[in-house]
This record gives sequence, structure tokens and C-alpha cells, in this order.
Amino acid sequence: MTSENNKERSMPVLTLTNLAKRYNRKVWGVRKMDLEVEDKEFVVFLGPSGCGKTTCMRMIAGLEVTTRGSIILHGKDITDLPPRNRDISMVFQNYAIWPHMTVYENIAFALKLQKKSRSEIDRTVKEVAAMVKIDQLLSRIPGQMSGGQQQRVALARALAVKPKLFLMDEPLSNLDAKLRVVMRTELKAIHQRTGATSIFVTHDQSEAMSMADRIVIMKDGEIVQVGTPDDVYFRSADMFVAGFIGTPPTNFFPVEMKTAGEKVELSHPRFAILISGSDADRLKNNGQNSLILGVRPEEIKVVPEKDSLLSVEVMVVEPQGSFQIVAVEIEGEIVKIVVGSAGKIQPGERLHLSFVEERLHFFNAETTKRI
Amino acid sequence: MPDTTEIQDRETKRNLTPYLLIAPVVIYYIIFWLFPVINAVGGSFLSTSLDKGGIFTLANYKAVFKDPIFWQAVINTTIIVIISVTLEFFLAFGLALLINVKFRGSSFFLFLAIIPMSLPAVAVGAMWNSGLATYGWLNSFLIRIGLIDPSNKILFLAGTHFSRMILIILVDAWQVIPFMMIILLSGMQGLQPEMAEAGRVFGGNRWQVLRKITVPMLKQTIITAMILRIIAAIQIWLIIVMIFGFNRLPVLMEQIVLNIDQYMAEEFFRKGMALSVIVAVLVSGVSFIYLKASGAFDDPGSREGDE
Amino acid sequence: MTNNLRRNAGRTMRMTTIYILVSGVAMIIIFPMFFLFSFSLMSDYETYSEWPKPLLPRTSVDYRMDHSGNGNFRLSIWNVSENDWMPFGPEELNRNPDEIKKLSRFLNNYGNTQFSEEEILTAMKLTDQDGFYEFALRKSLIHNYRRFFKLYSGAARSVLQSLYTAGMTIFISVSIGGMAGYAFARYVFKGKNILKLSVLFVRMFPPVAIAIPMVVILGKMGMYDKPVGLSLIYSINQISMNIWITASIFMGIPESLEEAAQVFGTSKTGAFFRVTMPLAVPGLAACAMYSFIYSWNEVINAVILTQFNPTFPVVVYKSLLGANAQVHLIAAGSIAQALPAIIFTLFIRKYILQMWGGVKV
Repeated sequence: MTSENNKERSMPVLTLTNLAKRYNRKVWGVRKMDLEVEDKEFVVFLGPSGCGKTTCMRMIAGLEVTTRGSIILHGKDITDLPPRNRDISMVFQNYAIWPHMTVYENIAFALKLQKKSRSEIDRTVKEVAAMVKIDQLLSRIPGQMSGGQQQRVALARALAVKPKLFLMDEPLSNLDAKLRVVMRTELKAIHQRTGATSIFVTHDQSEAMSMADRIVIMKDGEIVQVGTPDDVYFRSADMFVAGFIGTPPTNFFPVEMKTAGEKVELSHPRFAILISGSDADRLKNNGQNSLILGVRPEEIKVVPEKDSLLSVEVMVVEPQGSFQIVAVEIEGEIVKIVVGSAGKIQPGERLHLSFVEERLHFFNAETTKRI
Repeated sequence: MPDTTEIQDRETKRNLTPYLLIAPVVIYYIIFWLFPVINAVGGSFLSTSLDKGGIFTLANYKAVFKDPIFWQAVINTTIIVIISVTLEFFLAFGLALLINVKFRGSSFFLFLAIIPMSLPAVAVGAMWNSGLATYGWLNSFLIRIGLIDPSNKILFLAGTHFSRMILIILVDAWQVIPFMMIILLSGMQGLQPEMAEAGRVFGGNRWQVLRKITVPMLKQTIITAMILRIIAAIQIWLIIVMIFGFNRLPVLMEQIVLNIDQYMAEEFFRKGMALSVIVAVLVSGVSFIYLKASGAFDDPGSREGDE
Repeated sequence: MTNNLRRNAGRTMRMTTIYILVSGVAMIIIFPMFFLFSFSLMSDYETYSEWPKPLLPRTSVDYRMDHSGNGNFRLSIWNVSENDWMPFGPEELNRNPDEIKKLSRFLNNYGNTQFSEEEILTAMKLTDQDGFYEFALRKSLIHNYRRFFKLYSGAARSVLQSLYTAGMTIFISVSIGGMAGYAFARYVFKGKNILKLSVLFVRMFPPVAIAIPMVVILGKMGMYDKPVGLSLIYSINQISMNIWITASIFMGIPESLEEAAQVFGTSKTGAFFRVTMPLAVPGLAACAMYSFIYSWNEVINAVILTQFNPTFPVVVYKSLLGANAQVHLIAAGSIAQALPAIIFTLFIRKYILQMWGGVKV
């Protein structure tokens, strides 16, 4: 599961080895987590709720006791250290701004505890406040502020300590949709400016895709795939990832494989396609005849009837402005197709479709793993 | 597996804090509650010093059960508890619903409403004692506003046994309704208004929304209010003694106080102990049945707050 | 438009109903308290010689002095209910300094009015001039309160005992109860439910029955007849209440605030004192006042567990049960006892709903 970037690998800043968390000796929050995070990297933990991503982050922060495994930060084992000795900082989902302190006191809290000089504290507070654009609000009480402003205070507070590791637990999930997109951009800009190694937890795949250097996709307390946004999108490790990443998600078709000389033929009740080249070799080597074909919505093309693989009737059209999402039914399954906005498509219309052959995904029907 | 022990070590270490925090309560209750209670229960089974003291006996209990006043007290207490808790619940619920609507002066009304619950029982006793007396303020007031004739004073305190009971129930209601109302009101304020609104959107009328949505969602709060009231109502006595004096309207707690504090003899003292054990068993039995019937024991985990 | 009007009319109707109901309930709450207060301001004369009793306590009293024949004087008081002058004090009054002194005291004790010997002499002079003399005196409103404290010796000292007891009760029950309340609010641990129910169970054993063995236990500890001993008994009930209340308070403070403090440099304990504690102070103060009210009001345990150092409620209780109880004096004592409770209610008011919000069996 290595990234295929040519980036040279340096010493990891954070190493998680065999990390696991069990609640009440019964329920596993995180089963097994092995991960290396590099310097200045922006890593996103992505997964549906209950997948263990937040638990994992809380273990890194020291807010949960780890049941097993180790956490190494900058060569130091911090597994059993209390949060304050870990050199980390964190932005909480509900911001956790202390309501009995002013914005200034919130940001200065950690610096005061570090016994920094007054002038240094003042300088740092003003610097980070300017960075997140709340320099006008420093004397305010958080209770009177909007969610977006509280979010910025939480961010400023986390930035002020200049940590080795910057943790963000779904920081944007309580904001409205528009503000969320604005903050996304700002967060990315701040990251580029400070270069702080960051871990960001979210369940929103588009947030992950747009911000991450690398995405860690989790399910049921385990890592499913680690990779760049391109990796997880174009080379999804299994059907779960393919179905989770991208909107609308990947369409799946159960197919039977038949060898046809060099090539292989995949047949579905409604269509059959011939696969050649390295894809064909891989499929042959896989040895199983039943498999799942995955096709992303934008890799299904509307073509003239003579070039088509199959023809379908349009069920629903969802216009999106620059494109439209067309839903059709194939063998009882809803299949979604992304079509350009030119040429309005009407429900009931017949469409002739084909697949972009070099972008097909193949999955093992039993293990759901990528072939 | 080799790391099993490690798992256990790390998990037990964390679990110690809550036990440290509750340790003082447990220790306190062992010394200042359990110990005296064992003493009292034990004492209720011992014979008096006149009668070869300190030997196990059921005489104290026999004395209680043979006493006709005890049975009178059981009946009186039962009637008072049933009527007063029911009455107080409905009135308090109505009041809570009323205050839960925002109106000008609602916070002042809330202040007013909670005064009676913080008043000393002695003051409440004095208040009604001076009010219900034949030449008390209630008669004065009724004469002044012309409701009754000066020659037809109402003899509140000289009524029948049952009217005395009703009087006590009303006076008790005057003081404790606010307490019940506060608990119900704070429960109501914790409900999301959308729930009731949704009920109305889907065509329920006010009454249906109350019955089918508000009350079921307040179940926990209602159980809490009721159980606290039931426990307190069984132990009602002071107001009765303040208004009527001892033995005019016997109830269980009053009989305990009477035996333990008023008659200065060991015989009565031990009888009082036996009585208090009986009352404790009664209170916990009734509470248990109520909690069981209302489903407070069902699935306690669901209220634990999830991870 | 009409729809709107109808809706407005409906709303007005509803609000009117609410106001009528609310004022009705308010009356029921206020009247008894008002009359008790009114009684506490009445003089002996108003209490025992007027019927029906005045609804409002009088602030001044009208007197009339005239001749009783053979050169002596006679004093009358204006009886409002009878709407007539009624004789007040001795039938015959002469200028004897002893009798004048007695009359002055009589006016003070039975009419709650101040009239010095010199003023009586002046009044006599004016009566001689005009045949009669009418005068109004301001009634002393705190007279009964003064008399209550004078009559029931030790009442003043018992107030101190009560305050001390309440202070100790607050200290014990809020600290012990608060710790457990915090554990209930923040942790999931084995035995939590059993403990929660036992806390309720503690309230089921009649406190009187606990008080008796406690006489011996506290005696051995040297705490019998002392406020500390009493506060230990009061804490039995109050700790169980405070566990519920403080748990409710702490649940209202998000745990993430503490976690944030831990991440930003404090220990777990530090986070509690720097973040949770300051935020809980108003709620805890309300909880403390609640404990105060309980301790300040409690009677029967105090009766059993004190001997020479009774608390204030005991004094009032005994005065009420006493044979020659005087209604207006007891009213004064009761009002004096109720006053702190009412003042504290004023403070609690804002927090009371928050205090009970999370309380669940």
C-alpha cells in the first residue's frame, strides 16, 4: 500500500504500530492500525461513522488509553504519556472553546501554562488570530459568537502552540455547507503556510479528496486503503472504497468471465465486453470466474447506437448545472451516469451506453478485493 | 495470546478514578447510614431492659401489630399517599405545562411557585394552624370578602376524620406541588419542541400530542418525580402534628416520632424502632413495585450515554 | 387576512386564560404567606380583640383619652371591626407615676405602640383642657420579632447553631456528593446502576429511626449536641440529592472542554479545576443553597440530636407546640425562620431548572 508518488521518503514523524482499542473488554473501537505519517504531510482519516477514525485520533491525542500497540512521535514513544506531554494540538468537533474565557484567554491558555513571557504570548496570539482572521474578536466571550467564528478560535488556539502534530476531529462538520467549503480552502492555505504535520478526521469524502496529501480509509476499526486521493479514486483497493469515494459512487455489475484466447470476455445478462492486455492477464491469473465489474459514473459514456454496449431507459435526471446525473435501471440495480450538461436528457428517453475500457475496475466477488 | 495481560493492565488502570470518586460516599454511608440502620433494625428485635434486656424477641413487633392505632395509621397513610400523589401529579403537570408556555412574567411566577417548597415545615404549620383555627385568617378572610356570615364560622379543624385528611392533603399539596412542577418542567424544557410540532403537523390535536408524544417522552422525568414524591408522602407527619397535634390523625411516621421522641420509655422506644423498620420495608417495597411497574429497571444500559 | 385575525384572536384567548390561571395560582401561593406575615405584625389587641381580623396589619393605632369621673382618666382604643371605641387598659387612671409607668408599658406590650410617661402626662393635661384627647400612635412593626427572641430564650443563639450546622452540611454534602456526581456524569463503571438505586434507597429509611442509634454513635465520637453531628445526619439525605443534582450539572458541561484543556497543557485534575469547576460554580452554588434550605428547615432530627444547643427550627417548633402559644409571636418566629429560605430561593431561581434538568432515577 505504498504511494506511487516519487516523493522521497524521509523519517516518519508519526508511527502507529499495531494500534488497537477495546471498550469494556468487549467492543473493539480500533482493531489494528499501522501507519506512518511523514513530515509536513496532511493525512485524512476517512470512513463512515463508527469506523474507529475518531477513536484512533483520540488515542494519538492521549484522550483514550490504547489497549494495544504503540504510538511514536518524532522518535519518542508517547503511547502512555498524558496529552499535555505529547507535543500535539487539536481542534475538536464541537470546537470545545472554553466559555468562561475570552477569545484571547482561550488562545493564550496553553502558552501561559508553558510559562512563556507575556510579550511572547501577546505576539503569538495576535499572529495566529490574524492568520485565522479573528483579530477583531480577541476580547469577546465565545458565547456570543457564531459557529464559524468559534471554529476559527478553535483553530487559532490549536495553531498557537506550534505543535509537532496537528489533529483535527471533524472540525467542519458543524458548519453550514457554504462556510464549510470556505474553511476547507483556508485550512489548506494555513497548512501550506505553517507546514504543520496534520491529521484530519472526516466522514465527508469530498472534503478528504480536496484536502488530503494522503487518505487513510477505515472500516470497522481497520485500515482499508492508504493512498493519495488519486490512488483511492482510480485504484480503489476494494468495493467498499470504490463505493465510498466519489459522488455518485461506483456502479457494480456482477459478471461471468470466459477466456477467449488472449482476451477474456466478461458477460452480464445485459452486455458482454472483451478485455485485453494486462487487465486480461490479471483476470486470468485470478482464477475465479465470477467477479464484480466496477464502473465509475463518469466512465459510462453516451454513444451512438452502433457503438453501444447496451441501451437503457432513463428513470430520473438530476441536473447539477455543469453536468447532470442520470439514473437508469439495469437488472434491478440503479446505475448512475454522469453526463455533460449539453443536451437535456428527459426521463423515459432511451440512452445507448458504453464503458471507458481502460478505466474499468475488477473486484473479487467473494473477498471484494481489487483484482 | 501474549498481549492479553497487557490489555487488562491498561484497562484496569483507567477504571480506578470513578471508584476513587465514589469511595467517600460509600464510606460515609457505611458509617452514618448502614451502621445506625443495622443498629435500629437490631434494636427492634431486642427485649427491653425491664424484661431481661437484650434478648432476641418479636415482642416489639407484636406490640405494633396489636395496636389498633397502628392499623389506623396504615389506612390513613395509604389514603393520603394515593390521593395526594395523584392530585399533586396532575396539578403539577398542568402547572408545568402552563409555565412552559412563554408569557410575560413567567420567570417571576416560577420564583413565586418555588417559594412554598423552600419554606420550613414549621412555618407552613404555623401558617395553616393560624389560618384554619376558628378565629384564624381563613375565616376572617371569608367574612371580609362576604363569602360567609360572621356567625357561621367554618370549623375547619373540628371536622370529621375524613375532612381532616382532606385538609392535610390540600395543605401538603400547597407545599409540594412546586417541587414536582420543577422536576416536570425541567424535563419538558429538555424536550425538543420539534417533536411536539411534528405531532401537530401530522394532524394531532393538542390533547393527542400531549398524550401520545409529550407524556411518553417525559417518562423518565415522571418516574423520578413520582418516586421522590411517593417516598416523601409515606413519611408525611410534621404538618399533621403542627396542625392537629399527636394522635388526632395517626399516620405511620407520626407514630414513630411519637413512640421514639414523646413517650420517654424504653418499651415505646423499641416499639418505635420496630415501626420504623416496618415503614422502611413499606417504603422500599412500594418504591420497588412502582419502579418495576413503570419500567425503570428495563434496559438500564440504554440510558448510559454511548461511547 | 381573516385567518390571521382568527389566529390572533385565538392567541389572545389563550394568553388570557393563561394569565387568569396564573394569577389564580399566584393568589393561592401568596395568600397564606401574606396572612402569616400579616399576623406577625399584629399587636396582642389586634390578635385577640378584633374579629374578623384585619386583612392588612395596621400601621398606626388610634387612642382616645377622656375623664372617667372623679377627676380620673380612661383610655380607649379604636376597634376597627367593631367600628367603635373600646376600653383599653385600667378602668381608672390617676397621675400616680407608678400607674403612668404601667400604662406606658401596657401600650407598648398590648398595642405595640410607644408612648412615654411624659407624653401620657401631656395627654392628661390636654384632656383636662378639652374634655377628651384623641391621638394616633405609630405601631412598631418589629415588636413581635423582638418579643419572640426575648420570650424564647436561646432563640438568638439557636440561629447561630443553625447557621453553623447548615454550613457544615453544605461542606460535607456538596463535596462528597459532588465527587460522586462527577463520577456519575463522566464515567461508565461497574455497579453504577446499583449505586444509583442505593442512593435512592438511602432515603427510604425513616431519618428518625437513624437518629436514635446516632445519639449513641455521635456520643462516642463526642459530637452529640453539636452542629457537626447534626450536619452528619443531614448529609445522609442531602448527599443523595446532591449526587443527582451535581451529576446533572456536570453532564451539562461538555467533556470535550476538559479534553481540550488536557491537550493544551493541563493534567486531568488541572483541567477539572481550570475549566469544569469555574463553569459549574453557579450550579454548585445553587446546589449548596438547596442543602442550606434543607438543613435550615429540618426539625425532628434536630429535636432528637440536640439537648442544650437546639437549632432555630427546634425553638420555633417547640414554641408552637407549647401550651400558651401566642399566634402572632409564633408567626413572627416562623417568618424569621422562613426568610433565609425565601432569599435563597431568589438566588436559586435562575439555576433551578438546570439543576433538575438531568435528574433521572
